[in-house]
Amino acid sequence: MQTERLFERIDSIHLEGITKKYGHGFAVKDLDLEIQGGELLILIGPSGSGKTTALRMINRMIEQDAGTVTINGINTKDADPVRLRRNMGYVIQNIGLFPHMTIGENIGLVPKLEGWDKERIKERVRTLLEFVSLPPDMFMDRYPRQLSGGQQQRVGLARAMAMDPPLFLMDEPFGALDPILRKQLQKEFLKIKNEINRTIVFVTHDIEEALVLGDRIAIMNQGELVQVGPPEELIFNPANELVADIVDTQRKFKHMDTLKVKDLMSPFDEKYVLEGRTETCDAVDVMTERDLETAFVFEGERLIGQVTMVELMKCRTRSQKLSDVARPVKIFQPTDSVAFALSEMKSTGEYLAIVMNSNDPIGILISDEVLLKLI
Amino acid sequence: MVILETVLEATWEHIVLVYTTLLVSIAVSLPLAFAALYSKKIEFAVMKFANLVQAVPSFAVVAIMVPFLGIGFTPAVVAIMLRALLPIIKNTYIGLSNVDPALIDYAEGVGLSQWQIHRHIRLPNAYPAMFAGIKFAGILANSIAVLTAFIGSGGLGEIIFQGLIGYNTRTLLAGAIPAIMLAVLIDVSFTMLERKVTPGYVKE
Amino acid sequence: MENMLTIRVIADVWERHLMTMRTIEHLHMFSIALMLSIMIGVSVGVFIYMRPKTADPVLNFLNIVETIPDLALIVLLLPILKLGAGPTIAACVLYSILPVARNTYTGLKGVDEQYTYVAHAIGLSPREALFKVRIPMSLPLIAGGIRIALVFCMGVVTLGGLVAAGGLGTVLQNGIQLYQKDAILVAGIWTGLLAVILDGFAGIIEKKLHERYGTW
Repeated sequence: MQTERLFERIDSIHLEGITKKYGHGFAVKDLDLEIQGGELLILIGPSGSGKTTALRMINRMIEQDAGTVTINGINTKDADPVRLRRNMGYVIQNIGLFPHMTIGENIGLVPKLEGWDKERIKERVRTLLEFVSLPPDMFMDRYPRQLSGGQQQRVGLARAMAMDPPLFLMDEPFGALDPILRKQLQKEFLKIKNEINRTIVFVTHDIEEALVLGDRIAIMNQGELVQVGPPEELIFNPANELVADIVDTQRKFKHMDTLKVKDLMSPFDEKYVLEGRTETCDAVDVMTERDLETAFVFEGERLIGQVTMVELMKCRTRSQKLSDVARPVKIFQPTDSVAFALSEMKSTGEYLAIVMNSNDPIGILISDEVLLKLI
Repeated sequence: MVILETVLEATWEHIVLVYTTLLVSIAVSLPLAFAALYSKKIEFAVMKFANLVQAVPSFAVVAIMVPFLGIGFTPAVVAIMLRALLPIIKNTYIGLSNVDPALIDYAEGVGLSQWQIHRHIRLPNAYPAMFAGIKFAGILANSIAVLTAFIGSGGLGEIIFQGLIGYNTRTLLAGAIPAIMLAVLIDVSFTMLERKVTPGYVKE
Repeated sequence: MENMLTIRVIADVWERHLMTMRTIEHLHMFSIALMLSIMIGVSVGVFIYMRPKTADPVLNFLNIVETIPDLALIVLLLPILKLGAGPTIAACVLYSILPVARNTYTGLKGVDEQYTYVAHAIGLSPREALFKVRIPMSLPLIAGGIRIALVFCMGVVTLGGLVAAGGLGTVLQNGIQLYQKDAILVAGIWTGLLAVILDGFAGIIEKKLHERYGTW
């Protein structure tokens, strides 16, 4: 079935008075919200705030009881839901790649249903896989279960981009990943977002993620919109206690001078260790198995540096030893102050550092985790 | 024209054949199922053989009896048994082996003998699966017993084969309909029996 | 046994009882019956899945059909479909609908809701979600049902010999009536072997499907 494009680009999306009842209460109550074309709007709030319900009413996976959703002036009720959804990319937390299809088939599913010819689909899949830093030759014919969590989430993103939709709906896409992986994917996603320049509605419960990614942030509570605006506005002009509570970044820094690195680091795990003599190709397999995006390279007891999955897959064409490709990594003592560590990391743009007690690795410092723990 | 007496007589022969086979099958199956609990070799042989024989068409099994045992009641019983044994053994074994090991540990701990454990713990636990197997075997036996009339076992099949010779629809139905009724009867009666003997704690 | 089954005896029986032709007849009836069973069985399975209220009555009815002795079922169909392959094939199909339909139904019901949700969310129509996601993900179970149907069909087709449908059952019938032990043995073993081989082959396919489509 070939469906005609409903819209080439998004001028605006209006949610007007939308209400969804849930038992005796309201999942969403009389919500008015405007999403501007080209922006990344974050929906954030505690669980049960109605943020996911609001998102799902945009592509009609949930039908509202009252109110209208209009996209470029088209009432979504008047559009065929299948056609509507094919004009939107959709990414969710549990990804939902189909286990019986290869990565290539998963990404190419909707193009195939749209009647694209084989060559065009293949070309598109290759482009998208490269775009999300997965070498196509290596991944196209694999099955989802052979991929790590982070790799699957990249494929999920590529699948959403298959039809080059003008609008993306993302429902806690990085929610299930561990902190290091999440940070890495957020960084990449920010790059992608700037490149594709599309309208994105993004649900999260992680205020750090919201502040890093969002052009505007809509805070919801108990089915109602509390405040919407750019991050600065929420920080400097919070509408009420709840907003101030959620975005209050001031307090995060208040103990920073007295706290030590050892108080806020995550414990070191043997799974992060790779041997310097390991070949890059083998390292990719090991890291996939351990679900790592970043690993530390050691030669015996000696720390050589760090490697990331994305870099390793790039040098796959000619195999090298990890000791030759490892990049330097920031090292802190457990007794260093957190303020010092964070400013050091910020100056070089690193989000990850290793904590060593003389020669023993004892912890990992993740800049965002530190901020969160300070709240 | 078939006389009612002939039909009743054939029905009786049929019932005798089916239930004789079923009783013998149960008597042979239970010890084998218990034996499979103790020996991996017996377990493997029973399960493999069960799956293999299930694929062989009944008519082939019935026919192969003739060169070895000739015709009559006995070869019919053996042929039916070959098919009916396996669902009973298989199901009973599955039922017996699916007992929570902690329960067995506990029973041993409070000093129950092996025999008591089998009698009071494993067997009641296996009842649902066992009766499902027996019911299936009964229906199978009833079905093959129609066929064994071809090797001289008597029963309702004989009326059917008479009907086939002259292509007499009424004779055909006089054999087929009681056979179907018997099948339904077996299904219903065993389902009832199954409910009755299944102890409360394993009922859904 | 007074004489062993030598190659010569086998060849002789094979020739006299036209067993090449009988085998072809046998497999011909069998494949038509199996194809029809799969087509009807899968359709019934999908139907009762789409209309859940019909599932219990349909499955209960098919369960009753299952208890009818196979020969009695063929005989019941004789007055309607006349002598020949018709009643045999029809009986095969009637028996085989249950396993195929039941497994299709169970398989479709068992597909994790998250996949159906995603299928709809990325813009698959209900029909596309059924054919691209639900049915493929149920294939291992459907194949299990087809394998049971295969065994049923083999058994019933062999009975066809008794109602002039041809096939290997005819050789068994003649062998018993003429009391030719060699013919009975050769035809009996060959029929059994054929069924076991086809079942084994289906087992391999089923296993492959589990590896390919099974969720982890």
